[in-house]
Amino acid sequence: MTAVQPRPPVEDAIEVGTTATTVVKGHSRVPWRFLAGRATFYLFTLWAAITINFFLPRMMKGDAVDQYLSRNRNVSPEAADALRSLLGLDTDKSLLQQYVEYWGLLLRGDLGVSLLHGLRPVTEVIGQALPWTVGLVGFATIVSFAIGTIGGAIVGWRRGSRLDGLIPLTTFLGTIPYFWLGLLAIALFSVNLGWFPIGKAYGVGMTPEWSGEFIGQVIHHGALPAATIVLASLGGWMLGMRNMMLTVLDEDYVTVAQAKGMPTSRVLWRYAARNAVLPQIQSFALSIGFIVGGTIVMEMVFSYPGVGKLLLDATNAKDYALMQGVFLVITLSVLVANILADVAYAFLDPRTRQTEG
Amino acid sequence: MRLRSSLVTLSVATALVLTACSTGQGGTTGGDPTAEAGVALTIAKPDGAITTESHNPYLGDSSASKYGYAKVIFEPLALVNPTGDLGTTPWLAESVEWNDDYTELTVVPRSGVTWSDGTEFTGDDIVFTFDQYLNGTLTDTSGLNYEGATVDGDAITLKFADSKYTAQSRVLHTPIVPKHIWENIADPNTDPLTEDGLAVGTGPYVLSSWSTESVTLTANPDYWGGELAVPELHYISYGDNAALTTALVSGEADWAQAFIPQIEDSYLSADEDNHFLASPTAGAATLFMNLQTKPFNDVALREALAWTIDRQAYVDIAREGASEPVWNVTGLGSVLEDEVIPEFQGQEYSVDVDKARQILTDAGYTWEGDALVDPDGERVSFSISVPAGWSDWNTEQALIAEELNEALGIEVVVDQPDWGGWDAARQEGTFQAIIHWLEDTGNAYGMYTSTMDPKWIVDGRAQFNFGRFEDPAVTEALNTYATASSDEEREEASAVLQTAFAEHVPAIPLGAHPLLGEYNTRNYVGWPTEEDQYASADPTQPGIVQVLVNLEPAE
Repeated sequence: MTAVQPRPPVEDAIEVGTTATTVVKGHSRVPWRFLAGRATFYLFTLWAAITINFFLPRMMKGDAVDQYLSRNRNVSPEAADALRSLLGLDTDKSLLQQYVEYWGLLLRGDLGVSLLHGLRPVTEVIGQALPWTVGLVGFATIVSFAIGTIGGAIVGWRRGSRLDGLIPLTTFLGTIPYFWLGLLAIALFSVNLGWFPIGKAYGVGMTPEWSGEFIGQVIHHGALPAATIVLASLGGWMLGMRNMMLTVLDEDYVTVAQAKGMPTSRVLWRYAARNAVLPQIQSFALSIGFIVGGTIVMEMVFSYPGVGKLLLDATNAKDYALMQGVFLVITLSVLVANILADVAYAFLDPRTRQTEG
Repeated sequence: MRLRSSLVTLSVATALVLTACSTGQGGTTGGDPTAEAGVALTIAKPDGAITTESHNPYLGDSSASKYGYAKVIFEPLALVNPTGDLGTTPWLAESVEWNDDYTELTVVPRSGVTWSDGTEFTGDDIVFTFDQYLNGTLTDTSGLNYEGATVDGDAITLKFADSKYTAQSRVLHTPIVPKHIWENIADPNTDPLTEDGLAVGTGPYVLSSWSTESVTLTANPDYWGGELAVPELHYISYGDNAALTTALVSGEADWAQAFIPQIEDSYLSADEDNHFLASPTAGAATLFMNLQTKPFNDVALREALAWTIDRQAYVDIAREGASEPVWNVTGLGSVLEDEVIPEFQGQEYSVDVDKARQILTDAGYTWEGDALVDPDGERVSFSISVPAGWSDWNTEQALIAEELNEALGIEVVVDQPDWGGWDAARQEGTFQAIIHWLEDTGNAYGMYTSTMDPKWIVDGRAQFNFGRFEDPAVTEALNTYATASSDEEREEASAVLQTAFAEHVPAIPLGAHPLLGEYNTRNYVGWPTEEDQYASADPTQPGIVQVLVNLEPAE
């Protein structure tokens, strides 16, 4: 939560906003009230999210023991009481008491134990899955964002040329249901051509280590899922960027820059693309939440470890501790991403930097 | 969940594509002309990545239990066959013997067995294992009610508070653990055994490496059961059934238990060495009806349903052959045939619409056009409920709805709630009809306790007997069956139960609950087959050790 603490004055431009109307003249006027407002907002969002995460799952019907019995049908329902005490569900504490205790544990960094994963600590369970999700989905999203944005800028610049054909093509790829794309990729590249393994993060019998062989395996296994994610999400980025470019290219300053005889590449990247990219940054910040939330479908099709399946299973099994843990991670990352998006705005939009003098 | 079910639907299509691919290719991984001895066997599950390490055999959701590798490390006293002859094979005990009323089990520990760390296995380990339940360090999740052991020379007698006749396999399948290691474990319920030298058992395989993607076990060189043909086992978990099927077809995985749609086209035809075995057990998929409310509070209607619902269609269409229909009026399937009393031998339901309509007419039902009207003048209609995504039973819902509407003019509403809503309705008795599994006790008791025993209803919530059947004579017979000290007494009780079931039709069994197994004979032979079901082919069952010991290199 350190990210919402008041910051050194040099950064305060971030908080000033993105429109010229709020530009503050002068060097060292720190907008305390504004910063405090933002901090309160972020803290309130965090509290609300954690509270909802606590109460919402508990409103679902059924409890963890019923779910355990339906998963393990060889266990007699006669053992239900014994199971309740084993899983720590035999308390008759009120929901409010549990809620207060939950905050107490949370502030000490204790997320509880996951019923679904052999009663191991939630931090350990999430810690095993999160790196894979962030690594693969994060990498694929950045690649997709980069290609889509740069491609969209070029396509927008050369409007009316043959490159325009890229837009319907990539949007089409984006509308194919992802699992179908994944299954086709497996059928073609894994089963038929044998270029890539069918799934998993690395080969059977390997143990994670910092060796060339292991890293090679991870890349080999991750190539297909990463490529399909890029293909499926490219269209959105490209379309958004190209549309913004068309608007920006009509602006007077672009015409002026061209009239002054500036090199095309300078006009394209420094004048047009730089302004057109702003909404893209906002979308990217939002998509970070999805990165951490994982992509359940990808994890299922490619048998890839990750947070998505973890959350799905935890929800189905009423594993409250694990659900809360995963939601907490997602909430935090979305908040942090929003703060980072503000920072990125400051760098890209000169208007927000005017206070730096 | 929607994504998941659409995935299931599509798996069929993909499997077809994949089959076409792999057969077209001539099979680089498939039909190896020469079998290889000494290759590893890969056992696969469709549960998604299992990323948390725990080798605890007592915990249902530890990685060892989810994959099933706990069963090849820790062995039980004896193995009870859930299928075939339902027989008991002594395993870590040289002999197991119950007293007359099944409250005492006398075992003689096998000699010449060592733990995989070299320590000798003795009777102390058996007593220690069970004593964990006694002093409360281990939670009694199997409901054993163990009371202590006495040792007399070689023989150890384990005592239980009540008769274990209906829970023999729960007692016998308790994983035996080494005393010298477990006496230092503070909480045997949850300890993950991940430190070096803790995952020690008597079993045929020992843990070699564990990663979030796979688990490797190697053959135990000092295994008491002799030399093992398979030197190495890999356990892998795939994202879902579709991914698992792909792996089985391509040969990446060898052995699995999974319901594969269109198995003939998607798996069996890919390679002549691919095999599939569905072993019927004493349990059955059963249609439970709410006996407390209309329309099912009338036995005539229930009987008419029993004469209308096509069990063969359940097996052929809903389960795609992976089950066995239950037709006998006692509700007992083929593995329990011997228990059916002479009076009911061969007494079977069939699809006989005329008979069903006759029963309804006799009970005062009439038809208004095509629609069935009950004696009170109300249209007969009910809803049948199964959680969304349980594809085989969802299909059966549709089948039943169609059959009853066409044959009897009953309007059946197909209801597919989420698991939580379904679970609450079955427990609180607010449903009309559901399809549910049975408690499997390895004998006829399972069928009857699940459908007629009021003991399952505590504080108004039912764990079984969802229709809330209650008849003092039946309850007494159930208790007698479970605690009888002689076979005659038990047979008498069984006769009462079978008669009551045939008369009251408290539930309608559809097809036997099968244990499934997909395996291939490319490198190893000796698997359980249709003819020789010495164990089921399901690698997550305790019988896996019997199969592994039985495997031999293919010629």
